[in-house]
Amino acid sequence: MTTPDLHRQLEAMRPALLRFALLQLRNPELAEDAVQEALLAILEKPDQFAGASSLRTYVIGILKFKIIDCLRVAGRTVQIQTEPDQSEDDVIDHLFTTNGHTVEAPRNWGNPDAALEQRDFFRVLEVCLEKLPAQNARVFMMREWLDLDTEEICKELQLSSSNLWVILYRARLRLRECLDLNWFVAR
Amino acid sequence: MGIKPTCKEVHRLVSEQLDRDLSLVEKSRLRLHMLVCDACNNFSAQMTLIRRAMRQFPIDKDQP
Repeated sequence: MTTPDLHRQLEAMRPALLRFALLQLRNPELAEDAVQEALLAILEKPDQFAGASSLRTYVIGILKFKIIDCLRVAGRTVQIQTEPDQSEDDVIDHLFTTNGHTVEAPRNWGNPDAALEQRDFFRVLEVCLEKLPAQNARVFMMREWLDLDTEEICKELQLSSSNLWVILYRARLRLRECLDLNWFVAR
Repeated sequence: MGIKPTCKEVHRLVSEQLDRDLSLVEKSRLRLHMLVCDACNNFSAQMTLIRRAMRQFPIDKDQP
């Protein structure tokens, strides 16, 4: 691939990369910086990805590294709220009756591969991620998108493990509900 | 913790097993409940789908 070609392809990917950086970082300036640094790193060494499976996979890999760097730096200045507020408890409690049964039983979502093959499914998922409260989303994306292990997240954010598990649980409950309403019901 | 695990306990364990190793007691409580509860089986499949989806999130220029 020639350099102008590479340039063009990276530019085309930029809006999508920026949306993802923003989902994770929740700060437009930090997100812009992370994407900029990732793209520069690639342009500086255009031969590096020659053997990689695809440019897209390569770019995402670099972007994730840059975002992890950003989170480390930001983590020192931005304290994450660790005490769940009342509305947070309700996310769990309103699903269950007092004797621990589900108020509304989760339904069968059908064949998972069918959902994962559809581009629109991921659009809905992205909207659902945008709707998560910022702190919830940040932690969830660290775990599930950046694929960081729980010990590392606890260290970066100075959270206890049990606190982290509850935050992740809440995020998953919210996403589940959002997907159920906006994807699986609408089918 | 009652003798019989509730959906509330099992939902939480389903989520937590994505983040930590459950104890033997927790595992057996989970398994016992799963034998008899469709709701929790569906919930567990949903959690697995969300994890898979996040791990293979496509990002490319074709998206809006």
